[in-house]
Amino acid sequence: MRARATAGALGVALLAGLLTACGAGDGEAETVRFTFSKREAIPYMTKVVDDYNASQDDVRVELDTSGVDVVSASFVRGNPPDLMLANYNNEVARFVDRCTLSDLGDTRAASAIRTDLQPLMDQYGRCEGRTSALPYSVMAASVIYNKTIFAEHDLEVPRTWSELIKVADTLADEGVTPFYGTFKDDWTVAQGWFDYAVGGQVDTIDFFDRLAAEGSDVGPRSAASFEKDYTRPLEQMTQLAGYVNDDAPSRAYGDGNLAFAQGEAAMYLQGPWAFSEIAKTAPDLDLGTFPLPMTDDPADLKVRVNVDLAAIIPEGSQHQEAARDFLEHLYRPEVIEPYNESQLGYTPTTDAPPPSDPRLAGMTDYYDTGKVYQGASVLVPKTIPLTSYAQGIAFGEDVGTTMRTLDEDWARLAMRQ
Amino acid sequence: MTTTLTTPPRSETSAPSGARGRARKPRERWNRPGTLVLVLCSVTVLLPLYVTLSMAFKSPAQAVDGNAFSLPAPLSVQGFVQAWQLTGFPVGLAMSLLVTAGTVAATILLAALASYAIMRNWERRMFRWSFFYLLGAMFIPFPVVALPQIQLTGRLGLDNPAGVVLLATMFQLSFSVLLFTAFLRSIPAELEESARIDGATTAQTFWRLVFPLLAPMSATVGIFAFLYAWNDFMMPSLIISDPALQTLPVRQQLFQTQFSNNYNVSFASYLMAMAPAIVAYLFTQRWVMQGVTQGAVKG
Repeated sequence: MRARATAGALGVALLAGLLTACGAGDGEAETVRFTFSKREAIPYMTKVVDDYNASQDDVRVELDTSGVDVVSASFVRGNPPDLMLANYNNEVARFVDRCTLSDLGDTRAASAIRTDLQPLMDQYGRCEGRTSALPYSVMAASVIYNKTIFAEHDLEVPRTWSELIKVADTLADEGVTPFYGTFKDDWTVAQGWFDYAVGGQVDTIDFFDRLAAEGSDVGPRSAASFEKDYTRPLEQMTQLAGYVNDDAPSRAYGDGNLAFAQGEAAMYLQGPWAFSEIAKTAPDLDLGTFPLPMTDDPADLKVRVNVDLAAIIPEGSQHQEAARDFLEHLYRPEVIEPYNESQLGYTPTTDAPPPSDPRLAGMTDYYDTGKVYQGASVLVPKTIPLTSYAQGIAFGEDVGTTMRTLDEDWARLAMRQ
Repeated sequence: MTTTLTTPPRSETSAPSGARGRARKPRERWNRPGTLVLVLCSVTVLLPLYVTLSMAFKSPAQAVDGNAFSLPAPLSVQGFVQAWQLTGFPVGLAMSLLVTAGTVAATILLAALASYAIMRNWERRMFRWSFFYLLGAMFIPFPVVALPQIQLTGRLGLDNPAGVVLLATMFQLSFSVLLFTAFLRSIPAELEESARIDGATTAQTFWRLVFPLLAPMSATVGIFAFLYAWNDFMMPSLIISDPALQTLPVRQQLFQTQFSNNYNVSFASYLMAMAPAIVAYLFTQRWVMQGVTQGAVKG
């Protein structure tokens, strides 16, 4: 008897909830929950949201900065955010793979995006027939170098592997540390050393396609394997790792930024995110960037990119139209371009100018002509401890053995899936 | 009142303990190795606390200069201002307080009731089994049941701080029941029998007699529940769906990014979040010490 009464009460409560939800349509503004958790850019986005809310009365955007865990839980619960700008990686790609994101192909924003970025998006995951995510900010990463040190020693930016070695030798002979290594943080080894070495020599998209075709057969006898394709670039990486500061194994990312800002080394294998950290200590340091040359052909030069932010609208959102309206607003040139300018990112739309920051100038040509690759270390699923393997190599582990382990891990994972 | 009780003149306290075999030695005996160990122990707490404090007042440039122990120069409160704004501190604090207070109250109350019922009916099979059932929850960590819990709370409209209070209480219950039952064993049944003879009902016996006697243990249980609920990150982050109702630890996750170090902002924020916990700890710790000795003398 009491159970029935409780059920009835629950029913009434549910009905009331539904009715209020319907009522929101007429007169009141529709609320759109917008998830964005890139800390450095929250002030900028807050302003964008405020301006948008002030400009019209139909849609009210609420900025949600609570992060990735919360979003995953909301998908489980069935009340995902209405719009997200998220770092595009394997975690977000899971939502793409399972077709839980709505198709953005018919938006104005989608038609403005450079088409040659699509293969990069597809590398993580795809839902057939849909454009599940739109790139919003692309970060390019390569070697950061101290222009003052280079000028002092009459050095040119190297464009081939042998020139790079010559530069490193010259610096070492004259008592300057050529590279600053921060091997204590394994991700810095994977992001910089591993990815630049591999990406500068191996066609990453092609390699992962061939690897996927092999599936669980990846191993000593397969046509494509980490051991076959990665051993050579990684041997070169170990050669370069001989030019680092003596205390590299015990230095972390924060130490590296500080030391590089104090001019303790000439080159630093980090992305543009390190610029703002270096600037905290040395705001006027004259820095530049160049792609790490891994072959003796300057035509092979490429920069590592990652889709720092991508826009998605989950299918489970109750406010598809309103979310789309705000999405179009976000992609307006006067919003997206200043955003990327301030975050040192590249705007993925066709007619956008590159960021004007001189520190990025060394990468712009490569980005504009599409000579880019995504880091191999982020394309391998996180169940495989690739960053630790990369760190092991930096610490002197044998490249061949490590790559064989990686092959075995890959084959096992392919079999499980 | 309490202060005068706990801090009597030094000579009085040391006299009874030192009087036995050591009449010759001065009353104050300095235990060198013991003191040294205690000093080292307190350093492990004070040093991080000092770094937190000084870091919070540093400027962004000084925060990353690699000298964690240096004093802030110039003194900057920018970290506090930013942390306050980024986390929406007042609301976050209110939510954390709400969740914590709810969990502490519910845990003490439910665990005390359950333990009393179980201990006084120990000879009955169902009560004994329900004790084991409650203890069984100790073997289930939250991450294992996270997914179904997220869905369940979502469907029942409990994807808010109330749901977190409910779940946190549930997870805290087993350990608390264990503590209470052990303590209840030491309370003589004669006390309750005399209450019965005076005509008290079961409810009256519990509220008037047993629950007050449980006070020291309630304090202990309360402290555990407080620390758990105040510091918990995972459960609120997964259960609460409205970001406006999120607790402080989840809001602070913002500061832990791979690519940038904002030590001054993060430490300012941690300091503000720690303050209530430290204050509560200072107060309740004293109360527990007092309560335990009281209980020991009376038992």
